[in-house]
Amino acid sequence: MTTTTAQSGLSRARKGIAPGGTGSGNRKSKLSAQTTRTFFWLLLPSVVLLVLIHGYPLIYAAVQATHDGDLLQTGDFVAGDNFAKVLSSPAFWKAAQFTLMFTIVGVFGSWLVGLGLALLLRTKIPAGGTFKVLLLLPWVVPIVVSSTAWNWLVATPDSLIPSLFRNLGLGTPLFLADPNLAAITVMVFKVWVSFPFMMMMISAALASVDSTVYEAASMDGATRWQQFSQITLPLIARSTYISWILMTIFCVNDFPTIYLLTGGGPVNATTSLVVLAYRTVFQDFATGPGVAIAFLMTMTLVVISVLLYRQIRKSSVE
Amino acid sequence: MSTKPSIASSAFSRRGFLGFAAAAASVPLLAACGGGSASQGGGGGAGGTIKFWDMPWATPAYNDAAKKIAEGFSGANSKASYQIIQWNNFYQTFSSAIASKTGPAVSTGGGFQAFQFEKQGQIAYADKVIETLKKNGQFDDFLPGVLDPFKSDKGYVAVPWQLDMRVFWYRKSLFEKANVALPTDWPSLLEAGKALKKVGAFGFTTGAGSGNNYANHSMIMMMVNNGGGVFTKDGELDLMNDRNVEAMEFVLELVSNGIVDPAAVSYTTDNMSAQWKDGKAGYGLFQANVPQRVGDTSGDLLVADPITGPHGDKATIVFPNNIMMYTNTPSQEASEAFLVYYLGQLKELWRQKLMSALPVFKSITELPEFASDPNNVKIVKDWQPIAKTFASQGNTLNANLAALDGGQALNQFTQTIITGKSDAKTALQTFQSALESVLKK
Repeated sequence: MTTTTAQSGLSRARKGIAPGGTGSGNRKSKLSAQTTRTFFWLLLPSVVLLVLIHGYPLIYAAVQATHDGDLLQTGDFVAGDNFAKVLSSPAFWKAAQFTLMFTIVGVFGSWLVGLGLALLLRTKIPAGGTFKVLLLLPWVVPIVVSSTAWNWLVATPDSLIPSLFRNLGLGTPLFLADPNLAAITVMVFKVWVSFPFMMMMISAALASVDSTVYEAASMDGATRWQQFSQITLPLIARSTYISWILMTIFCVNDFPTIYLLTGGGPVNATTSLVVLAYRTVFQDFATGPGVAIAFLMTMTLVVISVLLYRQIRKSSVE
Repeated sequence: MSTKPSIASSAFSRRGFLGFAAAAASVPLLAACGGGSASQGGGGGAGGTIKFWDMPWATPAYNDAAKKIAEGFSGANSKASYQIIQWNNFYQTFSSAIASKTGPAVSTGGGFQAFQFEKQGQIAYADKVIETLKKNGQFDDFLPGVLDPFKSDKGYVAVPWQLDMRVFWYRKSLFEKANVALPTDWPSLLEAGKALKKVGAFGFTTGAGSGNNYANHSMIMMMVNNGGGVFTKDGELDLMNDRNVEAMEFVLELVSNGIVDPAAVSYTTDNMSAQWKDGKAGYGLFQANVPQRVGDTSGDLLVADPITGPHGDKATIVFPNNIMMYTNTPSQEASEAFLVYYLGQLKELWRQKLMSALPVFKSITELPEFASDPNNVKIVKDWQPIAKTFASQGNTLNANLAALDGGQALNQFTQTIITGKSDAKTALQTFQSALESVLKK
């Protein structure tokens, strides 16, 4: 078999064309005016509900972000002062930096672990179903419970993990008291909490991949790595991008994971933007700047989501 | 046969996705914009029902007893309903309920909450209640100085009902093991700390982790113990005074000598309690009823004597928790009658040993159920008379103290000090700047 033949087979496989398939593409059907009107009336109740549920709080938030009030009183109009104040604050940029790191590690760390486990669980192993359920536990257990458990594992020099390090002659790391270690601990905790979600998303995507594609690729001489990199990854690309988008939103918005474990400390080392927004509103009672932070987060998330969505479209075109 | 990814493209339009993404992305915005709902009082009821909101101040048995007391009210042609409000986001709960006119008529709450709502015109002054207390003899029953912080230019903003005192505790067996005397002043605190360190214990036990304000309180206590404080007598911000600098330099000395646990910066109150229980904490600032709280009632945990600062000052800090009345009430007369009634029934809570804080009435401190604990007696006798509020060196409480206690500025300052990351003057300067930006004139 020539390399060209193998590449051709892989190319067909990437497009989701099984051996013998024609690969007929998506057909766009043009909607009639009548159908469009029906769609409009069917969608209208949902749109009205969405406007009511999201529109009012968004407008109220916009009002708060442009005033210097508190939770009870609107206060005076200050235009963009709150945004300027937030953007000129070193605490905001430090929190943004941590949020970025936390999100990158949270998204790709949990994806890698989830992908590895999904591939492992795809093979026939004894009690695979039981393993799946057990691996889901970090995602299923309430964060309050798991953060408390993690706290007891690492918080004091006599906790289990620091004791283990000490007994191995590796010193006594202060996992939550040292700024760098605290940041790493929070990120590892996030990956631990999130990988089951990624595992399920990828497992679902893998389940829909026809095994004959691999058989064909194997007959064409593709190695295991080629099958993984040129068939598996492209075929689960859409699910991957969607899971990345969702996990990005989960990470950026993640309040309990950080707050329950470190409270944003020590010395703001693990303060993310959402923690900063919360503390600004509810601890400093500075509603305007706090909501301004939330606005900036929202805008950033929408931009990231749109960019990743474009990637999804690109992957489906390919 | 085709192999399609799990999410079919035909069901996934761009607009649909953008709508979904925007909705999901707006979660922090919605969360931050204060849209929380108010918990409603249980009884509501026809005219004349006073809604009393209370916090979980102790075990659930406390709330059961408080509910029974509240619902036993029947004065001024009125009755009362009882509602527990959880501490989580309590200020938002109160704010949104008050804004929607569904809040309580009378409530307990955060230490400075009454002043925050007073500033917004939501508080009914308690002057008539005080007058009634003067007539029925309860006024003279207040412990010295507990009422003064609540008197503003316009009247009494709230009435205190319990004291959350900060006092030094010690583990007797560790001092015996270290063969060192109890501290009486700062140099002996340093010496005791060094001796305790040799036996594997810490001489300035504290914690600044998530939700733990004891280290914050320790910092302010040390300032106040040196005649300093966050504010001047006139209520102006005054962090850079020499006494504060001296106090923080001393705490930094404790840190550099390993007398403060290096992991304390991340300790929650549970972690800190565990240090006390496990014999790692030799000495440190805590609240009343520590043996019960940490689960060691062997008699080894005892209240220490107050220590004297280098200039002869002797002081600690106290949070006088209070009951406030709101302008939104079915009857102000009924609110006042309820408050007088409730204050008169407080004794029952200490009689049943349900409270971990100190009472504000002398008569309760004399109850056998309270006075049988020598630690309680010592706190009332030695610590209460020297206790000052967070407003120190000033006396009257105000709304800004809420942003100080538990606010980001104090948290960051405390964590900076107990990790020894900065010198005292720089840390105080940063603290002052951060506070200036959040305190309202």
